[in-house]
Amino acid sequence: MALFLFVTVLASFSSGTYPSLTGEGGHHITGVKNGRLNPKNFAATPFATPGLRQNADGTYEAFVVAKAFQFEPAVLKVPVGQPITIHVTSADVLHGYFIEGTNINTTAIPGQVSSFTTTFRRPGTLNVVCNEYCGTGHHNMLGGVKVEVQEP
Amino acid sequence: MTTSPIHSPHAARETPVISDAAYLASLKKVTQYYIVTAFLALFIGVLIGPLQALNYGGINVYDTPIIKGLLKSYYQGLSLHGVLNALVFTQFFISGFLLYLPARDLGMRINMKFAWFTYALMTAGLLVAAVPLLTNDATLLYTFYPPMEGSPLFYIGAAVMVGSSLLVVGQVVNMWIRWKRANPGRVTPLVAFMSVATWMMWAVASLGIVTEVVFLLIPWSLGWVAGVDPLISKTLFWWTGHAIVYFWVLPAYIAWYAFLPNHAGGRIVSEPLVRLTFVMFLLNSTPVGLHHQYADPNISVTWKTMHMFLTFLIAIPSLLTAFSVAASLEDAARARGGRGLFGWMFKLPWGKPTFSAPVLAMISFILGGAGGVVNASSAFAPVIHNTAWIPGHFHITVGTATTLTFMGISFWLIQIPQVLTAIGGVMYFYVLFRMLLSKRVDDGEVTTPIPYSEVISPAGQDLAGSSALVRFTEPLLALWGMGCGAAAGADDVRPSAGPPVCQR
Repeated sequence: MALFLFVTVLASFSSGTYPSLTGEGGHHITGVKNGRLNPKNFAATPFATPGLRQNADGTYEAFVVAKAFQFEPAVLKVPVGQPITIHVTSADVLHGYFIEGTNINTTAIPGQVSSFTTTFRRPGTLNVVCNEYCGTGHHNMLGGVKVEVQEP
Repeated sequence: MTTSPIHSPHAARETPVISDAAYLASLKKVTQYYIVTAFLALFIGVLIGPLQALNYGGINVYDTPIIKGLLKSYYQGLSLHGVLNALVFTQFFISGFLLYLPARDLGMRINMKFAWFTYALMTAGLLVAAVPLLTNDATLLYTFYPPMEGSPLFYIGAAVMVGSSLLVVGQVVNMWIRWKRANPGRVTPLVAFMSVATWMMWAVASLGIVTEVVFLLIPWSLGWVAGVDPLISKTLFWWTGHAIVYFWVLPAYIAWYAFLPNHAGGRIVSEPLVRLTFVMFLLNSTPVGLHHQYADPNISVTWKTMHMFLTFLIAIPSLLTAFSVAASLEDAARARGGRGLFGWMFKLPWGKPTFSAPVLAMISFILGGAGGVVNASSAFAPVIHNTAWIPGHFHITVGTATTLTFMGISFWLIQIPQVLTAIGGVMYFYVLFRMLLSKRVDDGEVTTPIPYSEVISPAGQDLAGSSALVRFTEPLLALWGMGCGAAAGADDVRPSAGPPVCQR
């Protein structure tokens, strides 16, 4: 039984199905050290201008700020079929970042950056909900991810 | 006392008679106060539940005049519901029940003034915390994650309430040490063993929340320090927050193991096994909290994985419990002429609430425990984290298994007329409170002896003659409470033959 569990965990690690939330997702982020930043001052970090960006090497990164009671950007536009590293943090209290219908489900914590890499394979719009109680407007804290086909 | 038709070579333990009627009455009274307070909290807590269910059904009742005057929002109601049901009801019930049981089982005298002081302090903490909860100044849910900030009164009241449970720990452990001194070389009776192990587990488990509230949240809410680290606070919260569920179920396990076979007319399967189960909980309850933080960043995957395995490990004593208590029930049913693969179940005394409530609770706990194993898996976390699955899980564990067992226990402890027990819901509370608040005229010793069951494989009375497992678990308990040397010196539990009992 223990052996079975151990083997399945190893398999989960190697196949990439193990949910891994690393500090900066393998990217260096200006103003973020070991996955931590000053939650009161985003000015020196890319979180000052949330949204998708393409790096010089062609990789995509997206920055999302959760705050009572909205996500910034409200709708994150991403290209279909491209690996994207999403970085999520909070500007005030704890929030959740759950993209409905996917396995993306993380906590947005002030002072901490939650990073993960994913590829959206189908174009369309996905709903994002905050699933950590954050105050009186918690149930209205909704967002979206718009997966777009890139212009050739 | 026992209704067993089996002529067991090992008769049920007869608990020592407490001849001082005034002391016994006082002990029962303080237990009753704890239990009345617990059920009052539960009563208010469960009244809010239907409002939430209606809300899920798309019916908003929070704008109706009466409710609007009482609750500012769904979340204020939910905070009250969570705090009263999960924290107040359980802690008060357990503080009464697990003070009474070891005192009766060991026949020890405890300082009643101290017991009443502890009750008063715990209630004072509750009342202080209740003020901001009722005025919508602590609408934080029962997890109260910072940096969402509530009134300092909430944190102070909660700290006093939870902290005073440590006084009960002190009183029970002290009682047990005095018994060990007076009875050198004897095996701690089963119910006392389970009670002491539960309180010792809670002593370590509660340190997380006490540290969080006293050193982080109170100074911050009073403005003495500028900020608070949300991630370390959450980790400290779940240090206690997960182990607390074992603090909720272990008193139920005590009733399942020691009393349920008696109510069914059967026997405990194995006393050493019960002791092993409780020692496993004692050692393994706390280092599992990170499985509540699988979705949190900046906690190493290595630690998350270790806690995943440790959480799987804590399922084992629960599985031991499920199978051995079920075996007790089958033993009882077959002794009464039960036949067939499932037919024996009809021979069980389903009409007795002291029996049917805990057994239905156990059936609920099969599903709850299975869901818990899913929760333990970090690979499942993204699928279930903060979804309705989670409240589903804890409503069939603490919400049903623990609560229903406690209700069953209250039927034994208070002797509610059985004819009324078929009527559920609010009627239950009406009957309960009428019973509790009426003047006691009966003799407690006669009406509520501890319903100890007979044992198929008993632990024995003397350490020297008991099995290796019993000799191993007994000092482990001692060691845990006060350190090896003091225990050995105080108890002189070292048997002449066999391994030294205090080797670690």
